[in-house]
Amino acid sequence: MVVKIKNLFKYFDTAPAVNGVSLDIRQGERLVILGHSGCGKTTLLRMIAGFVVPDKGSITIDGLLAAKDGKSVIEPENRQIGMVFQDLALWPHMSVYKNLEFGLAAKKISKNERNERISLILEKVQLSEFSNSFPSNLSGGQQQRVALARAIVMRPKILLMDEPLSNLDYDLNSMLRKEILKLQEETGITMLYVTHDRNEAFSLATRIIVMKHGAIQKIGSVNEIKMFFKY
Amino acid sequence: MSKKLTILITIFLFIVIGLVPVIAMFVKSLFVGGHFSLESYSLLFKSRQQWHLLFNSLFLAGSTTFITVLLGVPLGILFGKTDLPGKKIFIILFVIPLVIPSYILAIAWFYCLGRSGIVSGLFGREIAVVTLNFLFGFSGTLFVLVSICLPVVIIFTITYLRMINPKLEEAAKLSGQWFFVLRKISIPIIAPGIFLSALIVFILALGEFGVPSSLRFDVFPVESFIQFSAFYDFNAATASAMPLGLIILFILVAERLFLRKKTTQMTIAKESILKISLGKAKPFLFIAVCVFTCITVVVPLAILVKKSFVLWAYKEAFIGSIDSIIRSLLYASAGATLIVVFGFFLGYLLEHRTFRFSYAADSIAIFLFALPGTIIGIGLITLWNTRATNFIYASAVIILFGYIAKYTALSTRFMAVTFSQVSRSMEEAAQILEVGWIKRVWGILVPLVRKGLISTWLVVFIFCLRDLDITMIVYPPAHDTLAVRIFTLMANSPEEIIAALCVIMALITLLPLFILGLVTIKRW
Amino acid sequence: MKRLYFFIGLCLLIISPGISSAKEEVVVYISEDRVFSEPILRDFEKDTGIKIKPVYDTEETKSTGAMNRLIAEKNNPQADVYWANEPIRAIVLKQRGISIAYISPSSEGIPTIFKDSQGYWTGFSARARVFIVSDEKNAPDSIMDYIDKQWKNRAVMANPLFGTTTSWIASLFVVWGDEKARDFMEKMKTNGVKISTSNGESTTLVVNKEFAFSLVDSDDAVNAIRAGKQVKQIYPDQDKNGLGCLILPNAVVLIKGGPNQKNGRKLIDYLLSPETERKLAFADCAQIPLHKGVDTPADVKKIEDIKTINVNYEMVAKKLQEIQQFLKKWTKY
Repeated sequence: MVVKIKNLFKYFDTAPAVNGVSLDIRQGERLVILGHSGCGKTTLLRMIAGFVVPDKGSITIDGLLAAKDGKSVIEPENRQIGMVFQDLALWPHMSVYKNLEFGLAAKKISKNERNERISLILEKVQLSEFSNSFPSNLSGGQQQRVALARAIVMRPKILLMDEPLSNLDYDLNSMLRKEILKLQEETGITMLYVTHDRNEAFSLATRIIVMKHGAIQKIGSVNEIKMFFKY
Repeated sequence: MSKKLTILITIFLFIVIGLVPVIAMFVKSLFVGGHFSLESYSLLFKSRQQWHLLFNSLFLAGSTTFITVLLGVPLGILFGKTDLPGKKIFIILFVIPLVIPSYILAIAWFYCLGRSGIVSGLFGREIAVVTLNFLFGFSGTLFVLVSICLPVVIIFTITYLRMINPKLEEAAKLSGQWFFVLRKISIPIIAPGIFLSALIVFILALGEFGVPSSLRFDVFPVESFIQFSAFYDFNAATASAMPLGLIILFILVAERLFLRKKTTQMTIAKESILKISLGKAKPFLFIAVCVFTCITVVVPLAILVKKSFVLWAYKEAFIGSIDSIIRSLLYASAGATLIVVFGFFLGYLLEHRTFRFSYAADSIAIFLFALPGTIIGIGLITLWNTRATNFIYASAVIILFGYIAKYTALSTRFMAVTFSQVSRSMEEAAQILEVGWIKRVWGILVPLVRKGLISTWLVVFIFCLRDLDITMIVYPPAHDTLAVRIFTLMANSPEEIIAALCVIMALITLLPLFILGLVTIKRW
Repeated sequence: MKRLYFFIGLCLLIISPGISSAKEEVVVYISEDRVFSEPILRDFEKDTGIKIKPVYDTEETKSTGAMNRLIAEKNNPQADVYWANEPIRAIVLKQRGISIAYISPSSEGIPTIFKDSQGYWTGFSARARVFIVSDEKNAPDSIMDYIDKQWKNRAVMANPLFGTTTSWIASLFVVWGDEKARDFMEKMKTNGVKISTSNGESTTLVVNKEFAFSLVDSDDAVNAIRAGKQVKQIYPDQDKNGLGCLILPNAVVLIKGGPNQKNGRKLIDYLLSPETERKLAFADCAQIPLHKGVDTPADVKKIEDIKTINVNYEMVAKKLQEIQQFLKKWTKY
């Protein structure tokens, strides 16, 4: 079990955004949280990452208590989590290489190893030749890959993805989906993916959670969820 | 060091430097001869003069605000939305009175309208008597203050006009004339910005010391000091500051309730905004603006330059003042640097609302900004003038404390706006990559808000450089700045030297502004 | 790292004057106009090698910071010497226990009415309250002309709430008693005496012939005449039995517990010397030396040639605080 969530609540003002969610994320799986906007899925993700502190309930990551009942025990920077943001959040003042290196350098990883890991990952996402480019000079798909590479290069315990493909056109979206699948299969990384798009969910997931009004409506395999929606 | 700790330390330091002196002063005023007593305050309610002064101050600030908005919004629209020629030059000219020490303008007008001034020479004494009566007292103070505060409204109007989503105007333009679009769409949308600028003008006018004291209009910040010296009574002076403090608190609450939510909803539009074509009205408007600029800005500056235009004056002024000039630049840069550091963290706090008391820190900053500098000055003396803290009180540190207390509000608000333009995920992305807080600050936040930092630094630098009221009260022996030096030299000095010093002061203030201009023009 | 060192260096530079007090220096707060006092203090630096650390204010700009600071700093004095532009402030400092007695050798020869008997303050270089008049043939010669029907609506004086005008009114209260002085004030009102904002403005009003005369400081009158204006200066009430003319000397005070007492005394000796008085007489402030026999320019009267109001300045200071409310009412606050 990589992440264990127990009876999680989060209120904004007085309305519950996340309303008593419990769930386990298993090693190596691709778990997708599916739901309409405002169902609490992003809040749940941000609580796992540590940007939002749960009002009630607990989050355990890799056996260590990360947050409980309104208190953050482990800060985001120490949770060993990777994340791809909806707006990607590529640092505009750094080259692709520097974007990838920044986290590694902060972790005091040697120059040689940094180099090795970065070139390996850039190769995997087919961006080796763009190592010195700046994000603003890359296409949408390339930026997407940089964001992904930046998250994976740290070798996190779990990779969180917050609707990373929602702003792309259909062709690019399906192409990148395939790449994400491939990358996950090669690395075996545990992945938690948040989306409102059923197609994305069905093509990526090994397991799907459907959320509504801050609570889990249904958990199941892709086929079970398809049945649930009478797809 | 964690994020929370850094911000807590920043808030703690700011409160110690800025708020504690004011509180210390208040507490001290409650004790007469070692015993708790409200005597100072009961005396206050009996004194008619205090209420008279308060009324004068409020009336002056209110009139200044009203006229500035009335003139500033149309000018802002002209400069921000139309094809008026020479817009940038006009904007720069209008900004000058705001950035130089306020009393310089008053001096210039005195040289022009005074009994032995230029008008008197040209049109005879009878006219000069009329102009002098206009200059001294309410009308002259109002006129000079309006020309000083006008750029605030103009710049806010231009900035907010830029932030309107162009589609809103485009949609309206399909069904109406520009006048209609402005009245029904643009101005209502930027109303929060106009209110905010009006608030700033009100605060600036309320705390103004240099102009009313030079033009002899009795307002609170000036007269509280006279009374203070006539009776040598600190308690009475503190007590008399209380009504003003309450009014400022009231303004703060109003701002919080009515303005806060609305003003943060805009972002700088990436698309180009619609421009109004002035058509036939263009030459008339151009001439009108030229005349107006001449009256409010060009004439007084020209008078100063002309008056100072003898070589010996500059030589004399420069030789005697070189130390003060260096100190001015040194203290203003040190002050601006520290204030930007405070503004960086407090602005971050304000924008990200990391803690429940995010607004409290901002409110304290605004409160101190609105409080007349003379009061902050007395507070600083009350708190720091002890043997143990002499290294602060007897050094320039006390001046820097005064600057921090007064001007941190500016940097906090500017940095908050800057941070609001930076996506929060930029920092979160680094955080999740196991990058610690300090590295995030230096590696991500600082580079991303670099331009904002530089602009904020320059603005704060200018405000420190032109500061008179705080520096005047707390400067340690042999530490006077140029603004103070000119003010203390004014009595009975040769007019040529004062004029030359004013020109030097204006030049060293405008130099950084010129650099700022280069930076922003490049960006536009 | 270099930046850090630079920053630390900058900090030390800013703090340094606060911690280094080993040098020969003297801290002086000054209420006399800076344009006149600064050259004297620079000369002192040149002559003695002692560094002057000044805090200036000027009454004209209503800043009055120096005096307030002296009071505020009572428990931790920063200043050694206070140079007041009139004795009243010096007396308030004595009342508040802020000054300390020092009888300077230079004060010898200064008439006793211009100094504190215990040495808490000593007067030097004085202004006189004189008339500036626009018409030489028909001129007033007594302050009683302010209430003379002949001059109805033709006289002006500065706002009595401020500066030397306040001291003048207070001295009348002391010499005449409250009743007569109040009566005089009311009669001035009915005689249409115009109130100007300052002595400087009064001077200009008379120079421009808008008013016939005004009581101003002697330096205002002398400067107008030196600038070639068609006006005359008249010392009022100089008859044998006349009231005399009010003299307002500068006053110098040694501050109790100041950091450089020894140098403070040296500065006081220097300021009270006939040589300083001579310089101030020849400067634009045209002040009257209080030592006998000091050289003056032709247009500055010598003290021995003036009939002065014989008034105790300590009583004037006390009266001044008493009549504040009356004056405020009188000027219609």
